[in-house]
Amino acid sequence: MVNTTAFMAAMRCEWRILRLDPALWLVQVMIVATVAYALHNGGVMVERHNAAVAAAMTEEAGRLAHLRQSLADIESGSAAPPSMPFRDPRNALFMGSGAAATHAVLPLQPLALTAVGQSDLYPATLRVSAATRDTFIFSDEIANPSHLLSGSFDLAFVLVFLYPLWILALTYNLVSGEREQGTLALTAACPVPLRSVLAGKLLVRAGLPMLFTLAVVVVGLFIALGDALLSAITALLALLLAITLYGVFWAGLAAAINGLGRDSAYNALLLVVSWIALLLVVPALINGWSEWRHPSPSRAEMVLAVRAAAVDGDRERDASLARYQEEHGHSHSNGDALQRGSYRERTQRRLAVQELAMRRVEEIMVVHDQRLLQQQALSSRLGYLSPALLMHLALAEIAGTGHGRYGAFFNQVEQFHRGWRDFFISKAKTETWLEVADYSHFPRFSFVEVRAPAFFGRVAPSVVGITVLLFCIALVATRTLRRCRVVG
Amino acid sequence: MNTLAADVVAPTTTDSGHWRVIRTIAVKEWLDIYRDSRLRWLAALTALLMLCALLFGANQMQRSERDQAAAAQADRQLWISQGAKDPHAAAHFGQYAFKPQSPLALADLGIDAYAGTAVWLEAHKQNEVQFRPARDSGLSARLGNLSLAFVLQTVMPLLAVMLGFAAFSGERERGTLRQLLSLGVRPVDLLLGKGLAIAALLTVLLLPTFASIVMGMWLFTDTALLSLVDQWVRLAWLSLGYLFYIGGFVLLALAASAFAATSRTALALLLGFWLINCFLMPRLMTDWVRDSQPLPTALEFNAAVAEERKRDFGHDESHPAFVAFRDEVLLQYGVTNVEALPVNFRGLSLRKSDEVGYAIYDSHFGALQQAYARQDRWRAAPGFILPWLAIQPFSMALAGTDSRSHHHFTIAAEQHRRTIQTMISDDVIHNNRHADPSYSAPPALWAEIPAFTYLPPSSAWALPAQLVNLSALAFWCGVAALLALCAVQRLKPV
Repeated sequence: MVNTTAFMAAMRCEWRILRLDPALWLVQVMIVATVAYALHNGGVMVERHNAAVAAAMTEEAGRLAHLRQSLADIESGSAAPPSMPFRDPRNALFMGSGAAATHAVLPLQPLALTAVGQSDLYPATLRVSAATRDTFIFSDEIANPSHLLSGSFDLAFVLVFLYPLWILALTYNLVSGEREQGTLALTAACPVPLRSVLAGKLLVRAGLPMLFTLAVVVVGLFIALGDALLSAITALLALLLAITLYGVFWAGLAAAINGLGRDSAYNALLLVVSWIALLLVVPALINGWSEWRHPSPSRAEMVLAVRAAAVDGDRERDASLARYQEEHGHSHSNGDALQRGSYRERTQRRLAVQELAMRRVEEIMVVHDQRLLQQQALSSRLGYLSPALLMHLALAEIAGTGHGRYGAFFNQVEQFHRGWRDFFISKAKTETWLEVADYSHFPRFSFVEVRAPAFFGRVAPSVVGITVLLFCIALVATRTLRRCRVVG
Repeated sequence: MNTLAADVVAPTTTDSGHWRVIRTIAVKEWLDIYRDSRLRWLAALTALLMLCALLFGANQMQRSERDQAAAAQADRQLWISQGAKDPHAAAHFGQYAFKPQSPLALADLGIDAYAGTAVWLEAHKQNEVQFRPARDSGLSARLGNLSLAFVLQTVMPLLAVMLGFAAFSGERERGTLRQLLSLGVRPVDLLLGKGLAIAALLTVLLLPTFASIVMGMWLFTDTALLSLVDQWVRLAWLSLGYLFYIGGFVLLALAASAFAATSRTALALLLGFWLINCFLMPRLMTDWVRDSQPLPTALEFNAAVAEERKRDFGHDESHPAFVAFRDEVLLQYGVTNVEALPVNFRGLSLRKSDEVGYAIYDSHFGALQQAYARQDRWRAAPGFILPWLAIQPFSMALAGTDSRSHHHFTIAAEQHRRTIQTMISDDVIHNNRHADPSYSAPPALWAEIPAFTYLPPSSAWALPAQLVNLSALAFWCGVAALLALCAVQRLKPV
């Protein structure tokens, strides 16, 4: 049990010492500067994303208005129908597969400015069409690859990489500093439990940068988001919880290393090595191992499947056309329509090839998705070895830019794609023209936000993982501090 | 100390005398490092990390090489087996070009995970390279990817710092520095001796890695396409760059140790610099160049290309440019209608349309690549004092995994696309003179059109663009040496 009086006295005493330490003020300046810059940067990223989405929507509206007008002109007889099916606004197959395609958007959540996550690897919008899924699902936004490699200075970077350093800067000599000054022996000689004194010291030295970070993050987010922050209160609470737990882990690690009874330089060295190991080396090893055990699928397989489908589809179409002409002769009343290169034949050929490719692509994508899931599952399991990796994943999920939300988005896009195809392909199969009225009834994508339980389900594993690691390190810290030497 | 005292008492004014002192100091430092369990562990872990990086890298490269070769072969088979077909339909079917990995990707994966791996070479359109592997690797890969470059650029400097931060300040705190100086040891000899010991240890760590890369190059270099000697030249330049980079850190650590009052101050200063160099500035500079020199979005880029392509008639026979071209051709052949032409007019118009498109794509993709290069130059600008910003692009460029090398591939792929289009249009022009709408090119044509073979550029192409970064690294190392010399000249014994 902690002696409350000694604990409070140690806290007061430590605060008096610490407030005279320039390191505390330097840390506070660094917290304000980095958090403010990161949030500003996140804000710029969100603005850029929203501008790209708005531009895509304007482009789509303009494109559809143009097609609607062309169709109205054809219907009214003021314009001749185009001879090429891919230019014809009446042609359901070609319009649904290209000109009338629609943008699917994953709207950013209010806390998106806190973590770039996966958002820089995906385009702001996906242009969904009736063609095979691979034609739009792998589209990319223009980005300098060196920038993607480096990553952004977002709040997630500040919290995962820098926040532990602020805590370590104030706690690395928690016990060793006292011992080197000779005050630890004096404190130990006092009739108060040393454990209570050390707990009080730790709470002040680790608690101050943690509390200050929490406060700066909340104030910064309030300035950046205003009232919108209230609508993201669940995510904000999850963010604050993650920051607290992650901070406590690093404080625990500093305490455990202090308990080894070595000098301050040794502690600093070991803590820096631990920081590198947990932040860089372990995640890199986890990635390397996961990739080794479950290699990412070769996307070339899918490309080749689509191309093989095109070749096979062409052949099948040629064969059926030959059969048709053999049975009906070239001068059949409808012969013109099924002559090679004719409008109708081109449409039907494209439909046949697309249907075949669709089946093959979907089969391959299921296999690829399973392999990626296996890789991610292994990576997630091993992720419990690194609190930094867990924090990184948790922050992305809280910001809505992580695997979970993107996974939900791609699932919803897949469903929407089916609906979109049903709309256009059913018309193409029955050779029904699109009419002006149809243009107002095209399916529209709207992302259905995941509910609170799903949100917790995505964030919880990381948070629980950090908590487990925190308890482990707290246990080690308790044991090492109990046996800690009081004199050098 | 006894050996050192004997060396110093012996005449030290000669070069051999100084060398004896330096050697003795180096041996003593080496023993100190060897006896320090922390440093032993750190060195062992670094070596292990490099080994893991090489193993993972080799595995990944082997898989990638196998997949790309199989895909290229399968794509070729599909292309050849198209059968008799409308040649323009075959042009639309096109080919795929798969990007091979540079053998030195074993050392530095560079931007490979963030640039695509395959490009579709279809009619009328230059496509972007697709399938960024990073999209499949997930979020955890963004936190760190184990590669030799990561170890050399991030972990090695830290090891250099750990080995050097207490070199002088530690001696001062133990009181041995005063003794050493009182023996008449020149501070410069002290610096050289300590530097030599650290350099020797780092060399011992790096030599097996270097040997492994040389072996890896033997394994992964396709000598039919690449010169092994050229890969060694690349490796030699790469080694020089890293020598400057890591050497600068060793010298800086010694300078800080000589300059700082305590080991703790030296360590804090060096760790601060390491953090700024390896983590803060790369991200800050990235964000700065991204905001100050924005790139177009994909939508803007495509819209700009589409706007310019309105000049081109494509398949639109009512386009004014089409009519003008037809009139020009009729005039050239002295006939009044296209049916009277001795060649197929559709083929001529396809070729003309392609040529208009080439100029448009060259202009837009060229401007985009220039924008990347401009961003990369600005990002590397502080590399003279923050060497990570210079070594990263230098390392990627010499390993053949930077965005310029990627662009080289895209240009080669685009050239191949143009070869396909030209050969197909020529077939239509000369073999379908009577404009038969049911004309099919014979299957032999597909075999005549060559497969895409990419010849990666040589080191002589890669190096000139990196001379600024190499100079930056040399400057950094020089400044660190100067700082170390100044610091030891003012060395305070207590």
